[in-house]
Amino acid sequence: MNRFVKLLNFELSRFMKIYLVLIALTIIVQVVGVIVTANSYMAEANKMIYEEGLSQAQFIQQYRSMSFLRFARSLWFMGPIAVCAAALLFYIFMIWYRDWFGKNTFIYRLLMLPTARINVYLAKAASIVLMVLGLVSVQLIILPLENSVLKWLVPIDFRSDMTVEQVVGWDYLSILIPQTFTEFILYYGAGFMAVSVLFTAILFERSFKWKGILLGIGFVAISGVIMLSPLLATVFMDHYYLYPLETLGLEVVLGLLVTAVSLWMGHYLLTKKITV
Amino acid sequence: MIEVNEIQKKFGRKKVLKGVSFTAEKGEITCVIGINGVGKTTILNAIMNLTPLNGGQILVNGETINKHSYEKITFIPDAIIMQPSMTIAEAMEFMADFYDSWNQERATELLDFFKLQESEKINHLSKGNRAKVNLLLGLALDVDYLLMDEPFSGIDIFSREQIADVFTSHLVEDRGVLITTHEINDIEHLIDKAVLLDNGKVLKQFDSEEVRETEGKSIVDVMREVYQP
Repeated sequence: MNRFVKLLNFELSRFMKIYLVLIALTIIVQVVGVIVTANSYMAEANKMIYEEGLSQAQFIQQYRSMSFLRFARSLWFMGPIAVCAAALLFYIFMIWYRDWFGKNTFIYRLLMLPTARINVYLAKAASIVLMVLGLVSVQLIILPLENSVLKWLVPIDFRSDMTVEQVVGWDYLSILIPQTFTEFILYYGAGFMAVSVLFTAILFERSFKWKGILLGIGFVAISGVIMLSPLLATVFMDHYYLYPLETLGLEVVLGLLVTAVSLWMGHYLLTKKITV
Repeated sequence: MIEVNEIQKKFGRKKVLKGVSFTAEKGEITCVIGINGVGKTTILNAIMNLTPLNGGQILVNGETINKHSYEKITFIPDAIIMQPSMTIAEAMEFMADFYDSWNQERATELLDFFKLQESEKINHLSKGNRAKVNLLLGLALDVDYLLMDEPFSGIDIFSREQIADVFTSHLVEDRGVLITTHEINDIEHLIDKAVLLDNGKVLKQFDSEEVRETEGKSIVDVMREVYQP
């Protein structure tokens, strides 16, 4: 088997226990959340109708009907997503530093493997991307389940039903779960670029220690400025000549450039400058 | 042959290596000797391209080290370099997966030699046994050169004896061994060539057999002359 694939498999298996916990957390909290949200809505409806004497129509007018978005805006839904995002963001750093610190110095072994060192970098980056995709897939799988639970607990007269397509098209979910292949490439390409920029910044620190922290921060800042430059131009230039589609094209080119420079720099640092 | 040519290394403003040169040949045990902090580990790290140099050059079989070199040369540091959560069997499987030069037959022989259990987790092992696992993972590779960093450091006397036995066995036969140590007693009689380091420079390098025969001195005698003139 190709050594990159072996490394990728190895990196994924190293995080698997925590990853499965994250998946379980997402499923349990969201399913419990949809039950709690639906039940509390119905409890409120029953109280208002049977104790306060509101009609069903008055209640719906006052409290609006129950839709999946009411649940999706709650902490029950967004909390696990935020925890998973924070865990993966933290792991972007841990995936490198765990090999240097602690009881072992596994980085010795990784850097002495008979394969190009960039494969170590790419395997770590790919494992992060795959883990994000995995969590998004889990979310996509449980959305219909949660939608069904909601329908099961709330009578049709109190509901504004949404299809899963409508749910995933809403607000930030449309970024997590792109609607088209082009969006998928754009959003996840941007994600891979961000991971590669952070990885290279980490390698600056690992190569040059204190000076490396400054170099790493500088590298992230320059990459950010490059990516934001078309948007900054629209704000600060009196005459901005690009159409939105052209601006998007420019962003794609800049994104590819930043990713390529990050990978090249990461390769250079790993082969020429890294210190165990 | 491993050729270390005029290598220089600075950590911050401190010059640790100031033009160190020596060679280590296949079939010989070369020992780099010096007090702690003299740069012995840095030399081994530099040979394996694990730290950049500020000057000089290192060649292994006439080439600068590259990804293919790691099938020809291996490094056994004084700390475990496998995931502590792995069992010995998993660590061996990892090595077999990545190295074409992995020799499973020899690995099994080494397990017996060191009296280790495959099912044991690395983080449950004593320091002596961890050192043995490190040795096992290095020695089971069919490589030309073995680099060992302080293999006797902080290890009990029985483990030391067992590790020293490795050097007289067929397990290192025909290979080049480059070893660093500041505790030479255990292996003095095995060393073919000694390189004495101090203050970032090679103070003296000599063929131990030749010195023994012509001058009637042991390596420790030469060390006394050099370090305590």
